[in-house]
Amino acid sequence: MAFKRATKVGAFIPTSSMGDIAFLLLIFFIVTVVFTEETGLVVSLPRAEAGEEGLRDMISNVYINEKGMISIDDMIVRTEQVAGVMAAKVAENPFMIVAFKTDKETPYGVVSDVMEGLKEANAVKVFFNTDLNLPGVAY
Amino acid sequence: MGVLSKRKKRRDVGEIPTASTSDVAFLLLIFFIVMPMKSDEIGLSMVLPGKATAESTVRVRQSNVATIRVLANNALTFEDTPVALSRLQQMIRERLAGNDQTVVVLETHPDADYGMMIACLDEVKLADARKVSLKTTKP
Repeated sequence: MAFKRATKVGAFIPTSSMGDIAFLLLIFFIVTVVFTEETGLVVSLPRAEAGEEGLRDMISNVYINEKGMISIDDMIVRTEQVAGVMAAKVAENPFMIVAFKTDKETPYGVVSDVMEGLKEANAVKVFFNTDLNLPGVAY
Repeated sequence: MGVLSKRKKRRDVGEIPTASTSDVAFLLLIFFIVMPMKSDEIGLSMVLPGKATAESTVRVRQSNVATIRVLANNALTFEDTPVALSRLQQMIRERLAGNDQTVVVLETHPDADYGMMIACLDEVKLADARKVSLKTTKP
């Protein structure tokens, strides 16, 4: 004689705590995320077609505006101070990339002087930030 | 009619549906996970030569050098011949096809615009020139 089970027991995964877990993870990511807000200087970047993506973590930003003002990681510096400031940064992170966020109308002489400072500080990896090239727009 | 019959029955309490809370939490979670990965650094990368020493100095034959000059008035010359920016890439390509050892020297006047120098560097990169050197015209 076969016995029949009176009631069927359905297997289920309890999902009531999923929201709690999601919220916990959410809080973790909200707390740990770092939104770096750099003021730098107002610059209008030149356009280029051959632009490639750069790693943000390794980058030290050098802003140079059209008047030749230089800001390295939110610190206004003079040309002759560039080597010293950069040498300290390279000592901290030897793989540092220096990103030039320079206005397209800046005289090249200023950029050249900054690059001389970088060479002295042995910060040799540079990255010239550009905007994407739009058709019909001169440099 | 007794007093008891006048007593109100227990009211149904309105509920806020919470079934979608975990979905909202997950969406926010995804946002906070993806946000820091966003990379908006686009540009042209280069490696500077570093401090000039006797060992690091490389001699290049004059015949292997192709010089692009950006003059103070932002005019361009390629091998001392005036050239338009739109023709530059083609000329570099032709030069590279003739001699793959060619080192492209981008010589910029200190008074020239940085944007013009980047426009030339862009053309050099687009022409697949591997050996590029930056130089500043002595004023």
